[in-house]
Amino acid sequence: MTLLNSIPPGLILILGAIVLLLLPATARKAGAIALAALGFYAISQLEDGEQLFPTLLGFKLTLLRVDATSKAFGYIFTLCAFAAFIFSWHEKSRAENTAALVYVGSALGVVFAGDMITWYVCWELMAIASTFLILARKTEKSLKAAQRYILVHLAGGLILLTGILLAIQATGSIAFTSKVLTQNEMAKYFILLGILINAAAVPFSSWLPDAYPESTIMGGIFLSAYTTKTAVYTLIRGFPGEELLIPIGCVMTLYGIIYALLENDMRRILAYSIINQVGFMVCGVGIGTNLAIAGVVAHAFCHIIYKALLWMSAGAVLYRTGKSKCTELGGLYKTMPITMVLGTIGALSISSVPLTSGFVSKTLIVAAAEQQHYLWVWLVLEIASAGVFLHAGIKFPYFVFFNVDRGLRPKEAPKPMLIGMGLLAFLCIYLGCHPTPLYDILPFDPGESKTFSAIYVDHFANVVTMFQLLAFSALAFFVFLPLLKRTPTISIDFDWFYRKGAKWFFWMADKSLNSLNAAADKYVIKTFLPALTRFALVAPAALTAMVLKPVWRAMDPDEARLTKRRDELVAKFTTGTFPIAYSAACVLIILSLLVLIGRTAD
Amino acid sequence: MSETPEKPFVPDEPTVSRKFWIALWLTCGVSVLLELLVPRHVHFESSDSAFASATNGFGFYVALGFLACSSAILLAKGLGLLLKAKENYYDDTP
Repeated sequence: MTLLNSIPPGLILILGAIVLLLLPATARKAGAIALAALGFYAISQLEDGEQLFPTLLGFKLTLLRVDATSKAFGYIFTLCAFAAFIFSWHEKSRAENTAALVYVGSALGVVFAGDMITWYVCWELMAIASTFLILARKTEKSLKAAQRYILVHLAGGLILLTGILLAIQATGSIAFTSKVLTQNEMAKYFILLGILINAAAVPFSSWLPDAYPESTIMGGIFLSAYTTKTAVYTLIRGFPGEELLIPIGCVMTLYGIIYALLENDMRRILAYSIINQVGFMVCGVGIGTNLAIAGVVAHAFCHIIYKALLWMSAGAVLYRTGKSKCTELGGLYKTMPITMVLGTIGALSISSVPLTSGFVSKTLIVAAAEQQHYLWVWLVLEIASAGVFLHAGIKFPYFVFFNVDRGLRPKEAPKPMLIGMGLLAFLCIYLGCHPTPLYDILPFDPGESKTFSAIYVDHFANVVTMFQLLAFSALAFFVFLPLLKRTPTISIDFDWFYRKGAKWFFWMADKSLNSLNAAADKYVIKTFLPALTRFALVAPAALTAMVLKPVWRAMDPDEARLTKRRDELVAKFTTGTFPIAYSAACVLIILSLLVLIGRTAD
Repeated sequence: MSETPEKPFVPDEPTVSRKFWIALWLTCGVSVLLELLVPRHVHFESSDSAFASATNGFGFYVALGFLACSSAILLAKGLGLLLKAKENYYDDTP
């Protein structure tokens, strides 16, 4: 298959999306599943190295850079799309199908881009395509959320573009490599900021829980996987070992937990949980050792699977009940038991329960922190691991499927949804028990513990400690359950600054600047300027009259005629019709004064 | 799609059955007992600091799991007083 060997996999999905637009619904849906599978196969056929070098504006692009990291991300991106398209068989919308394919295609474009221009173009295409997955919900809330989402991403994109242009100017190269990205200090920070906005790093994180829960059922699954993980991929490419990322990642892990605990909307809980999980990855990139990077890639791989599974189970509940708030859900295990079991597998995986995929991936990042003797980083990651179980592992399934029976008796999720979820749930457990295929595609060897017996038998002590951590986290959850009672509220996040803060800023600017304007109008325009005009008209006349008065008096001492002469002079000044002799006299007086002043100065 | 949407509102008072409590305490108990049987992996050299040595101590993960989660819940509860807002809080903004 030489053709598939030299086509960027993203292009297969994007071109395919255009062709599928012309087909009827069933063929379109089947086609999307087939395209995801074809993309996966095409990636498996790619050989390491760089190829496809078209020229644009005098720059030689690199459309295809293949190595272990890009292939690992490519595999999971197409695999997730495959399951998500099966799950979304109910969805007939042409726009959603196309947007999802273009979104996945452009994410693959970023992953296989070897130059910064291709990266940037695909990056922006992702932002645009993903916006349609929010808009497709067709509610007023989703429309507003989509507007805010695209504005944040366009701003982030412009910051990234600034960094890229600075980097190109400083290095003369467009290569998408760590060396080019970090050589110029200013370029580096612009690029880093642009990426971190997409990675939902605190405090640029609130766009995610604002927008994702407003998306469609299908949209939520896709959104959960690609934007933040391409950001993680670009961090691996550009900034491995950048120590600034360690505290940023640590804060993300804790912030995600606290906000997820406060949340009432099940999909918003999962959205905050994404920030928590990406925090582990950002921290891993910051640690930057081979083990850490292997851990980040493995964790991104497993995370996409279980997070998509969790979004699917939430999507199935939303599809069947039309509700997504914990205060309106509960007791669904009775009529949606399969969705409950599959969703719980996702919840256990995200919590790194032994025998699930999270256990074999997250532990690599934690071990990397330990290996580098970062005691406090290690401690935060362990605390965050416990917190994950709290908010995503127990809170999500408990409040949705158990808790109070609210009398909801929806049907079990449709078969395609169960198949999509089943596939990912199988992978969660399969990779948890047999991670060798995952470890084999990582950019670095994660060590000797690759097999079931090495992980679960030889290192049984690690299983015990994880078991303890989780068991006592669960105990804390149920001991403090009354404090976790859900309320029909939202939590104020950093988006307050542009949703309320901006409005207040506008109000304040309106009040302060407009009152300044009114004052200026009243005092300057209406009072001071007319006075100045009057003064400009009368003052020269008064001055001249003052000079001429002794002359007039000497010529004719009659006071009445003196006053008349003065009034005539003023009238002539104001109408500009005074005789030349007066002007000449004034000029003469002023010149004489000037000469006198000049003399005195000498 | 629910069959009985008109059912009266059920107050949201989370309750857990007695059997579940027993199972949970048993699980916690077993996890502690297992540590007695399996030698712990040493994370950090005890000579590094007092805290580093504590990480290797018996029951470290028990304390960590319980304290971390209790603190997270209490912190979230406290912050909730400050951060929680009505659902229509942002309705008048674009």
